[in-house]
Amino acid sequence: MADGARRGLDLDLWSYRILLGLLGMLALVIMVGPVLIVLAISFTADSSMRFPPSGFSLRWYEALFDPVRSSQIHRAAINTVQVGLWATAIGTLLALLAALALARARGVAARSADTLFVTPLMLPQISFAVAALVFFSMIGFEAAKPAIVIGHVVVCVPLVYKTISASLSQLDPALIESSASLGASRLRTFRRITLPIILPGIGAGAFLLFMASKDNVAVSLFLSDARTNMLPIRMWQMLEGTLDVRVAAVSGVLILATLVLMLAMERFVRISDRLR
Amino acid sequence: MAARVTMPEGRFMLAFPMLLFFGAFFVAPLLLLVAVSFFDDPDITVPGLSQYTGFLSDAFNWRVLGQTLLLGVKVVACTTLLAYPIALLFLAAGPRLRRVLLMLILVPLLTSVVVRTFAWIVLLSREGVVNSLLLSLGIVGAPVQLLHTELGLIIALMQIELPLMLLPLVSVMARLDPNVVAASQALGAGSWRTLVRVILPLSLPGYAAGVLLVFASSTAAFVSQSVIGGGRLIYMPLFVYQQATTLYNWPFAAAISVILVLAISLVAFGINHLGRSARGNIHG
Amino acid sequence: MTDRIGRRAALATGGLAAAAVLSPRKAAASSTVVAAHYPNTWETAYRDVVAPVLQQRHQIELVITPLLAFDQVARALAQPRGRPPFDCFCLDPGPRRTAIERGLVQQIDRAKLPNLQGVSPGYVDEWGVGVAMQVVGIAYNPSRVEKPTGWRDLFEPKYHRRVAITGFGSTFGTVAMIEIAKAFGGSETNMEPAFEAVRRLLPNVGAVALNSAQLPSLFQQGQIDIFYTNTNNVAALKAQGVNIEFVQPDTGCPAFATTMHIHARSTVANEAHQYINVSLDPAIQAALQEPPPMFIPTQTRTPLAPEVAALVGSHDALSRFIQHDWGVINPQRSAWIERFNREVRA
Repeated sequence: MADGARRGLDLDLWSYRILLGLLGMLALVIMVGPVLIVLAISFTADSSMRFPPSGFSLRWYEALFDPVRSSQIHRAAINTVQVGLWATAIGTLLALLAALALARARGVAARSADTLFVTPLMLPQISFAVAALVFFSMIGFEAAKPAIVIGHVVVCVPLVYKTISASLSQLDPALIESSASLGASRLRTFRRITLPIILPGIGAGAFLLFMASKDNVAVSLFLSDARTNMLPIRMWQMLEGTLDVRVAAVSGVLILATLVLMLAMERFVRISDRLR
Repeated sequence: MAARVTMPEGRFMLAFPMLLFFGAFFVAPLLLLVAVSFFDDPDITVPGLSQYTGFLSDAFNWRVLGQTLLLGVKVVACTTLLAYPIALLFLAAGPRLRRVLLMLILVPLLTSVVVRTFAWIVLLSREGVVNSLLLSLGIVGAPVQLLHTELGLIIALMQIELPLMLLPLVSVMARLDPNVVAASQALGAGSWRTLVRVILPLSLPGYAAGVLLVFASSTAAFVSQSVIGGGRLIYMPLFVYQQATTLYNWPFAAAISVILVLAISLVAFGINHLGRSARGNIHG
Repeated sequence: MTDRIGRRAALATGGLAAAAVLSPRKAAASSTVVAAHYPNTWETAYRDVVAPVLQQRHQIELVITPLLAFDQVARALAQPRGRPPFDCFCLDPGPRRTAIERGLVQQIDRAKLPNLQGVSPGYVDEWGVGVAMQVVGIAYNPSRVEKPTGWRDLFEPKYHRRVAITGFGSTFGTVAMIEIAKAFGGSETNMEPAFEAVRRLLPNVGAVALNSAQLPSLFQQGQIDIFYTNTNNVAALKAQGVNIEFVQPDTGCPAFATTMHIHARSTVANEAHQYINVSLDPAIQAALQEPPPMFIPTQTRTPLAPEVAALVGSHDALSRFIQHDWGVINPQRSAWIERFNREVRA
């Protein structure tokens, strides 16, 4: 009888481990596989995207860094970084102020505002992009780059708003009260107590916002004009037309840049603790 | 409920810039979209309901809408199945392994969604990596059609959605008391029983957040739907794009957008409600 | 590819910019023309070949915005007031008609286009000028499938699982579907036989692409081995080392002009005319017909390159390729797109 129970337990344990192990492996393969394959293809000697590549070469990186042949990719990359930085700066500032205002607020108005600020995450971006295009053309707003920045802020700001709100919710209100009772001004309390505690949250949120802006397709697709070609759209066109291998090289560069950024963030704000 | 913390009135003013920004650039465009959808002609001159009646009276459109929502549900189900094992491993892991797992979860974010989507063309085509693997292992006798099928699309979408599911799930796991699990097992509950009775209920809040994100994102994943799905699988975002850019029918594009937004909101509201009541059950 | 571009640029500059080089004027651009172009091949070719000459001869900076023809019209329609999204369109017949009907383009001034001399009158009207011809036929992978002979072959069992089709979302998808309809007894106004054929093929189709742009990548990955496309795409794929050949169907190839137009609200109409004029220059047209992109010239003063001549014979023969009446097609397209969506839906 004890033997039976033991066997039952073994079966339970092993079925649990094997099944979950297999599914977990599959999950890791699906998450990591395509990234590795793109990375491998970027070093191919072939003239088309094939896996496995027939040989190793750096020709696609050379082509990518060629200032003449790839000038359009460079311009798109510059646009993307510019838009990303502006969107991150504006979005983080707006979100920080709003999160400070609404943290712990319980009123109906505050709750509604809170919900409103995360709504863009739930909406199909293409719907918002269509709306924004019609809206900007109707009010005669013609500057494409500011329009894209605004669009990116709208669709990406929930990410930073959520992270900052989460950091604030972990802040002990007693700390602030005691600081205030000690006669510190509100600004001083913010600078000396609140800010240092939520700074990692701000950093992680800003990072997420920048990443999302850099990757945005729908809004850029509808709002960009002749001079504001954005990198994801450019890559999409290059891939759809001819599976241009330079795009794999772009990915190689992106992977490296993101990795560096991520490790830097990890060092300064321990981003892995902040991504909810 | 915690005592209401009294706040100086002035603090609410800080939310004003964001409110103004959202009012001007989020709410206003969406209201305009709704307004445009109530016009009968592409030139936006004759007001009327014909876009909605036209859309809703056609069974084909209902099927596309249903298919879109169903795609969201299927992707949610599949990501759940694959995300939990990782989350459970995270729960059982020490600090170092946890860090490694988190980094692995972030790997998909290293490169653009567009590039990852096209990588799946290389992986899923008839002569792609997946088919060569299946053929050489003798699992299949002839190449399997994966590109332009819903299965292929779900696989490709999972790569994008898994991190969205895992991040909130893992953050819940990180806060979960390992003693609870140990206690359950010490009381003789098997692994499966502990999973179903203890871990799953405790992880529900994070899971609900993940479900919401994955559902919204996969139903709206325009790039993957068109590139991996191809011409035979039609989803709502493609409809919007087609009407706006190939047929120049902005009011119809607007109406489809509004319907899609309403449908997703309805489902999101439902999930949110379930998540909240689940949370209530745990604490209550 | 670099050599090709170098050769092309040399041809262009050598032919007509010599004078400009010898008597250099101010290098800085005095004005800018924003021109929409099809992505990839067209964009690259015009940037490499046309832009430098326009800069040298007229001090005009050419900024190219890559958009498919339908997207160009959509973008222009979405901005009904104020500064136009671009000054010049580059369209094919279907979108061209829509652009004219919706008042998006202005009339051209022939006096400002001296290079119209030599362009066949059939490619010019008061709204725009044809700058290249697109010829549509069947492309296949010679190492994997037999050479097809005509449109009906696409539906034969020997090509089952190897064929890709695409619908009415692009101009050459539309003309191909019309030719398929004709091959099965239909016409421009009777698409039923084409839908019938598609329905029969569906269980054995290799792929149904959402739009024509998706086809080259599917071909490259070996997902499909036969599809309909234009000669430019075939030239571009060949240049990438892809094993692909172009076939003229036994019933003939449809051909249509790629036309340039000036936006109705363009503030640089003069410069836009100069841009179009340069595009029609015999030396430029000669440079652009090098494969890739192998644009087929509309300028008869440009002798056909061997590759192009092998394909279309002569300038004269080109005018006898199959033409379609877009006045008849356009009103039906929206219904066809909807019908195609329904027919192919998995």
